Amino acid sequence: MSNPILQMHGICKSYGPGIIAADGVNFSVNSGEIHALAGENGAGKTTLMKILFGMEKPQKGEIFIRGQLATITDANKAMQFGIGMVHQHFMLIDELTVAENVVIGIEPKKHGLFDREAASQLVKEMAEKYNMPVNPEALIRDLNVANKQKVEILKVLARNADIIILDEPTAVLTPQETKRFFEQLSALKKSGRTIIVITHKLPEITAICDRITILRKGRNVGTYDVGSITETEISRLMIGSNPLPDIIPTFGNPGKILLSVRNLSYQGNHGKPALQNVSFDLHAGELLGVIGVEGNGQRELVDILAGRQIGYEGCVLLDDVQLKGKSIKQIRDLGLAFIPEDRMTDGVNLSGSIMENVTSAIQEDYEYQLGPFQNQKKLNDFAHHINDVFEVKYNSLSEEIRFLSGGNMQKVVCAREITACHTVLIANQPTRGVDVGSVRTIHDRIDALRQNGKAILLISSDLSEIRSLCKRAIVLHQGSIVARIEDLSVCSEEELGLYMLGIKCDNDTFGRDAA
Amino acid sequence: MTKLAGFLSGLKTLFKKAFTSDHFKTSVIEIGRTMLAIIIAYLVAFVVISFVSEDSKNAIRWFVLGPLSSPTELGEVLKNATPLMFAGIGACLIIKGGHFNMFTEGAFYAGGLVAALAAIYFELPGFLAIIVPLAAGSLAAMVIGYFPAKLKVSYDVNEFVTSIMFNFIVMWVGVWLISNVVIDVTSGDNATLPIPSDSRLSILFENTNVTTGFLIALGVAIVTYLYMYRTKWGFRLRMTGDNKAFARNVGINVKKAGVSSQVLGIGVAGLGGAVEILANYNRFNWKSLPGFGFDGFMVAIIAKNRPLLVPFAAIFIGYLRSGADLMAFNADVTQEVVQIIQGLILILVASEAFFSSTWFQSVIATKMFKKKRVVVHEEVSAHE
Repeated sequence: MSNPILQMHGICKSYGPGIIAADGVNFSVNSGEIHALAGENGAGKTTLMKILFGMEKPQKGEIFIRGQLATITDANKAMQFGIGMVHQHFMLIDELTVAENVVIGIEPKKHGLFDREAASQLVKEMAEKYNMPVNPEALIRDLNVANKQKVEILKVLARNADIIILDEPTAVLTPQETKRFFEQLSALKKSGRTIIVITHKLPEITAICDRITILRKGRNVGTYDVGSITETEISRLMIGSNPLPDIIPTFGNPGKILLSVRNLSYQGNHGKPALQNVSFDLHAGELLGVIGVEGNGQRELVDILAGRQIGYEGCVLLDDVQLKGKSIKQIRDLGLAFIPEDRMTDGVNLSGSIMENVTSAIQEDYEYQLGPFQNQKKLNDFAHHINDVFEVKYNSLSEEIRFLSGGNMQKVVCAREITACHTVLIANQPTRGVDVGSVRTIHDRIDALRQNGKAILLISSDLSEIRSLCKRAIVLHQGSIVARIEDLSVCSEEELGLYMLGIKCDNDTFGRDAA
Repeated sequence: MTKLAGFLSGLKTLFKKAFTSDHFKTSVIEIGRTMLAIIIAYLVAFVVISFVSEDSKNAIRWFVLGPLSSPTELGEVLKNATPLMFAGIGACLIIKGGHFNMFTEGAFYAGGLVAALAAIYFELPGFLAIIVPLAAGSLAAMVIGYFPAKLKVSYDVNEFVTSIMFNFIVMWVGVWLISNVVIDVTSGDNATLPIPSDSRLSILFENTNVTTGFLIALGVAIVTYLYMYRTKWGFRLRMTGDNKAFARNVGINVKKAGVSSQVLGIGVAGLGGAVEILANYNRFNWKSLPGFGFDGFMVAIIAKNRPLLVPFAAIFIGYLRSGADLMAFNADVTQEVVQIIQGLILILVASEAFFSSTWFQSVIATKMFKKKRVVVHEEVSAHE
């Protein structure tokens, strides 16, 4: 029995000639369902939802909410219609508490002043009602990503939204957190809310969604009941042709040791050891996976290897050169490249152009200098070339990178770092929040780099990513290596889960004798 | 040879691109908006003048047309603009590097004093009589300016506070010097000996006070532009200013880049002080800070931190000041009111630049969001 709470008809949106984000999209959502909006990055999912939320104006098209024509000119109007949106990049104030963030703008008042207690009480009640335990008095900056997301959802609920749009909600969550999150979504659905989830993770769609709408190149290519369509079909509709088979990891004999880590220990900020006696070797022509629930020492490990963190104990050798005491520049000159986890702050300069971002690692190279000046032509050629290789979609190199979609932005980061890599690549979450097509490009490039005899350390919270690329992996739990898996293909996901949660732990003796 | 050819073809594509790029189009829009702000600001000024003046027509005429009335007056505009250009370019370098170092002010003082002393006591022949004092003034400013810059970058000491403190230290040391050490008692003032005529900057156009200093300022604007946008050092400076974490990750030494941005900016301001003294003064006799350094930040904001737009912004302010002076001199608007009007215009023009900055846009976005939500809540609860 279809009962559309929301209908969008013939939505057109173009950002200038040739850039069409929505090309006459029809979109309909039933009351009380979880509706997936799927498609590659740049397919127009986020644009469509921004139009619904009043953040973008369509050139053509009509929106009906509960059967009535709605003119949504801005976010204010959207919220009057009961629409709330949780953005991919959280919009929270780090210095304020959870309660303050939730009620910001709708503060409960007592004698005309902000009533802090009432706010806490309100948030506490809501948190209990929707099964989203979070301490109202905690400061946002002390929360992890999953809890920040809860706050964002509470914020929307506090404004009485009954159509909730979630933009890539699980992109930043661990498998365990994702599971909890799905339970919360089901609870929201039971309370009568309609939920639209923007996603390109196929298993999630089949796990929690009732219906799915697939967008491709700004067009709606079909709305289906999730039960009536297979993952392969969804994937085919999204990409437009049958997807290529997954890369089957083929491994030759690993070459010499390019990166050797011995007894690495690091004291974290809170007096808790962030890394304890971590030792491993990385060979040429090898992709080593680092598995673990986020926050178990991955960030510290990456920061130390990339030279961003000093003051550690132990020893790191890059192609037999001691890295301790070297600057980031010196380490990069040794051929180590680094794809940072947080592309918005660490990976790109949002105020810079695509050109500046993609060439920033080679700006210093002698061959790109012309006397005191830069060789603009060579830099341009380089930028065009590697943007082509990595299939980055852009209008002009001088365009600011902030206008690129998340997937394209990440491709720029990967293009720069993979090209700069001459010995070891540290790839930290290289495909987080990136669409299927871009994931494929990035994986292909990383694997090509491996076949070229370089060594890659892949840190990812996406187990399937590590399984599809790596043969060998280490598992981190609370800063220690709890397992060394020599062949991932014979290790079940359940077993990995036990290691990740620290329930199972191998006695780690690697490198002890050498020390 | 191939290098030269490559360079030339690079230049050609550069020019071709400059006029067709989106960048150029947005620049046109931005300039148009600044123009609009200037017009509105002048209209506000006219209203104020008509309130205080018996003969407001006359006053407005002097204010608007006075600076354009003769070559001499036009020359005054350029003369007033010259130090502002140096200060503005210095501020561009500092702001683009992500800092707010006010030592450009002290740099003007130190640059002027050291240039005067170098000219007086070295008595060098030929063109060295000009080059060496200018270089000495600029260098002295850079040496002193290194300290607040280094304190900021290495120890995170707020450069805004330290640089202002340094301004006063430099000024009082200077005042002490010209009152006690290098004083020429025959001058009847706390001032140095006269600056030798060999060291004075020559007049560029007859019947005006425009000196070669104006040309030096234009040259510095171009060199700074090339430095910032066409060299690897400029790249480091801008990337560090935009996003320090990113700059660090791609291997830029952010401390070095941070110090050099501030020291270079201060060096340009110091050169400005030297030019100012060698162009317009017989003796060095500044007993207070000249104020150009502070104005430089305003110039930079109006020029949207682009070195090549700084000359235009500086000439506009030069024009505004000349007009205000002429109005005070020739009409019944008193100097105090003239100052108020100047302030009003500058606030309006500078705030246009300020309000259109990316930073402010993002603040506005979150603020408006917040406000809207208040309304939403009320409306929604009314429904229920």
